[in-house]
Order: sequence, then structure tokens, then C-alpha cells
Amino acid sequence: MIMTAKKLTVAQQLKNQPVYWPKVVISILALLLVIYLGTQTIELKNVNQKGLEIAINIMKGIFQPSLALITDMSKSGLAYMLLETIAIAFLGTIVGMTLALPLAFISSRTITPKMISRSGLLIISIIRAFPSFMYGIMFIKVTGPGPFAGVLTMSVTSIGMLSKLMIEAIEDLDHGIIEALDAAGCSTIQKIRYGIIPQLSSNIISIVIYRFDVNIKQASILGIVGAGGIGASLIFAISGMRWKEVGAMLLGLIIVVLIFEFISTKLRSKLATGE
Amino acid sequence: MLNLIKKIFLPDTFVLSNGKSIKEKFNWGPYITIVVVILVIISAQITNVDINVWIKNGKNFVQMIDDMFPPNFDFFSVMFKPMVATIMMSLLGTLIAAVLALPVSFYLSSNPEFKLNKYLLTSNRTLLGLLRTLPVLVYAKLIALIFGSGAFSGMIAIAIFTFPICVKMMYEQIETVDMGPYEAMISTGASRARSIICSVFPQVKGYYYSTVLYNFEMNVRSAAILGYVGAGGIGVLINTQLTWRAYSNTGLMLIVLVLTVIIIESTSRYLRRKLV
Repeated sequence: MIMTAKKLTVAQQLKNQPVYWPKVVISILALLLVIYLGTQTIELKNVNQKGLEIAINIMKGIFQPSLALITDMSKSGLAYMLLETIAIAFLGTIVGMTLALPLAFISSRTITPKMISRSGLLIISIIRAFPSFMYGIMFIKVTGPGPFAGVLTMSVTSIGMLSKLMIEAIEDLDHGIIEALDAAGCSTIQKIRYGIIPQLSSNIISIVIYRFDVNIKQASILGIVGAGGIGASLIFAISGMRWKEVGAMLLGLIIVVLIFEFISTKLRSKLATGE
Repeated sequence: MLNLIKKIFLPDTFVLSNGKSIKEKFNWGPYITIVVVILVIISAQITNVDINVWIKNGKNFVQMIDDMFPPNFDFFSVMFKPMVATIMMSLLGTLIAAVLALPVSFYLSSNPEFKLNKYLLTSNRTLLGLLRTLPVLVYAKLIALIFGSGAFSGMIAIAIFTFPICVKMMYEQIETVDMGPYEAMISTGASRARSIICSVFPQVKGYYYSTVLYNFEMNVRSAAILGYVGAGGIGVLINTQLTWRAYSNTGLMLIVLVLTVIIIESTSRYLRRKLV
């Protein structure tokens, strides 16, 4: 055979190793091009001389949070702002789920005909393509500035990810179970109750919990366009250089996000393993 | 009526033919539903949800979209440079974060073969987790104050925001890697850095590029808003045009933004499918 005719020495194998340098040169050149283009558009002009001082003040503020803001239990206090942020995220997630679920069923390739599922996917990608703050601005035109606009924005921006994950869950459905129920003579409602819901519920609950976790982070941004939550006061406090209040708000935000992240991971791992 | 409530909330008891009674598995469903409904009502009160507003002002929503069309195409020459700056700052920010994240992620993966200090590992991971909790807008605002407003601040903010995400995605991947080649290289006397480069990195290479692309995709989306807090890019322009109520200009920017996002997303998705 040919195998025996070929000599395998170390020196020969070293010669046969693939050539890497063209790849490396091309990627370095591409990187340099990107950096060059970057310096054309990104310029470091108005650097503030007080930058370092501000940085030190930020650090100081975070380690000495304003106690007045933390202990304030009225509507302008930290606790209420965080509660409002959580409420926006919660309601947004619930409304987003109710909107995303039918969309996900429509766009699952295994359930509906090709044309319908394609159009469903198109609707989802159009909803997803708009940046979230544009929704915020548009909803404020309707409701006026306030947390209600935030709820609407959250629910629309949640649709994209929720429906995408839900479609995956629905397409993974085991059709054998439904066929078996069919053979046993179950009605459509019974098939949904005993064939589809038990298969989907834990998956969908876990998706929704995950999105709630993401939404809490998102809800803290919405304030920038006037859609409620802690965002607006946080940005105003930073602009006004009230570092102690900034520190208190950042601390509150970090703690809330961490708590919900912890709860969400615990719940989801419980749902995935079936307790 | 009482029977129905009992049937929903309490587990049924079945009596078998041999006289044994068996209780159904306890169902948390109804209780959780009630709690969720109560929470929805409370949240609706906190956030002033009012459906009547929609009946009264619903037309404003359509009106604004209507004002944006037809978009003003002459505005393209003005918005071209900020748009490129938006893409560039997310690209460079992601690149900086990705380059820094790669070595760090090796120091934070809990593979027993790396022989890293357990307490150091946990504390460093927690520190990075804290960085991950804040939204990118807060970083942008703080950094715009330190470095002055402009695309440079946006770039740094994106780098700070992307770094912990990249590190987390990478170390989770590194932990699933086959460590046999690494041990083999170590036993031949190669240094740790050399063994990581030659035996562990090739296994996660595809995933690494895919992570970078994914983060770039996300950052282009979020970079548009950074201008609102003075961190450069197209957001500044959108903000001013909206306050001047120049909706046809905003319409053009929105269309270009959406198209850019879709193009970048589909290219990155195509590349990622090829990589992994």
C-alpha cells in the first residue's frame, strides 16, 4: 500500500504543517484598517481637565451613599423608585408574554403552514428591528411621560426575544404524546390540557423568568426618555453631580439586580431539572 | 361551588380497589396564578396603567409614524458621519473588550487543571458580576463626564460594558473543554501559557469569534441610545431632531439605523453559523 511507501520523519512532518502567516498578516492588516477608520471618526477632542477629579468623586459617592435617600420612604425615595422599576419590568414581562405566546404559536414551522409561519417571523423581526428608545418616545406621545409608557415599551421590546425562545420550545414538542391522546379519543381541549401544556409550561415559565431578569436591567434605562423608573433620577443626579445620591441609587440598583438574578437562576435550574 | 374550589386548591384523594387511599401530587399552579394576578394588580396601580388614555390619545401613535414618512433623504449627508461613528465606536469598543477578555477568561475558569486559587476565583468572578449589573447607559453617562462628550466616551463605555459579558461567556465555554491535550503538553515540559495557546485556545477559537460577533451585534443596537447622554454617535442627532420635531429627518435616521442593524445582524448570524 501507499502508507508503507511514505516515510514519516519528524522533520518532514514539520515541513508539512499548514502555513499560518498569510492568515495572520491579513487579520493584522484588517485590524489596522479598522483602527485607522476608527480614529477618523472617533476623536478625542474635548477631554475634560477635571476628569480625574470627577472619577475620584464618583468612587467616593459610591462608598458613601446618601442615607437620606435610602431612608426616604416617600414617592421621591430610593425604595419607591426601585419598586416602580420592578413593577414596570414585571408588568412589561407579563404583557409581553401574552403578546408573544400567540405570535410564537403562529410562527412555529411544525404547527402552521409555511406561509403563515413566515409572515409571523417577519412580524417578529420588524418589531425587533426598532431600537427600544424609539418605542419609548412613541408611547410617551400617547400616554405622556410616566411609568405607563415604560410598561408599554417593555412589553413590546420583550416580544422579540420571548417569541424567539418560545418558538424553539414549541418546535421541540413531542407529537407522539398528542397522537396517543388522539388515539385514546380525547377532545381538542383535552389534548391541549394534557398533551401540550405539561410539555410547554416549565419551558415557557423559565423563558419568562429569564426575560424578567433582563427587563429589570432594561427598565432602569427607560427613564432617559421619560418613561419612568429609576433611570431619570439617576441621570439627573449624575448631571447635577450629586454623587452621594448617585452612589445610593447605583447601590440600590446593583442589589436589586443581583437579588433577582439569584432568584431567577435558582428557579430556572429547579424548573430545568424538575425539582 | 365549595366542591369546585376544593377540587382546584386541594389534591384529590383516590381510593384503590385494595382499600388504600392515595393523594394526588400537590399542585402549586392555582396558588402561583393567584399571587401573579395580585402582583399584576399592584404593579398596574404603581405604574398608573390606564387603558382610557389609549382611546383618547391612540391616534398620536400612528400620527408620529405618519409624520416620519416620506423621510427627508437630503438629510443623509448630515447623518452619515455620526452613523459611521456609532458603528465604529461599537466595533472598537467590542474589540478592546474582546482582546482584554481572552486572557482574563483563562484566569477565571474553574478547570481543576489550571490549579487556580478557589477563593481568588470566586471573588474575582463576583467583582465582574457587579460590573455586569449596571446598564451601559450609566457607564456612558459617567464616562462622558470624565472623558468629555464624544464618540470616544461611547467607545470606552461599550468596552467596559462588554468586557464582563465576554469574560463570562468565555470562561463558561473554557470549562467544557477537553483538558487532555493541555495535560499532555504540560507533561512534555511546555510552559502554561504555551500549553493554553496551543491546546485550549484552538478548542474555543470558533466560540470566541462567535462571542465577539454576538456582542458587536448587541452593541450596535444599544450604541444608538448612548448619544442621549452625550457619548457620541447618532443618538445626539436623534435627540436634537426630535426636540425640533423634525420627524422626516428622524424617519430617515430610523430607517438607516434599522437597515444597518439588520445587515450587521444577518452577516454576523451567517458568520457565526459557519464558525461554530
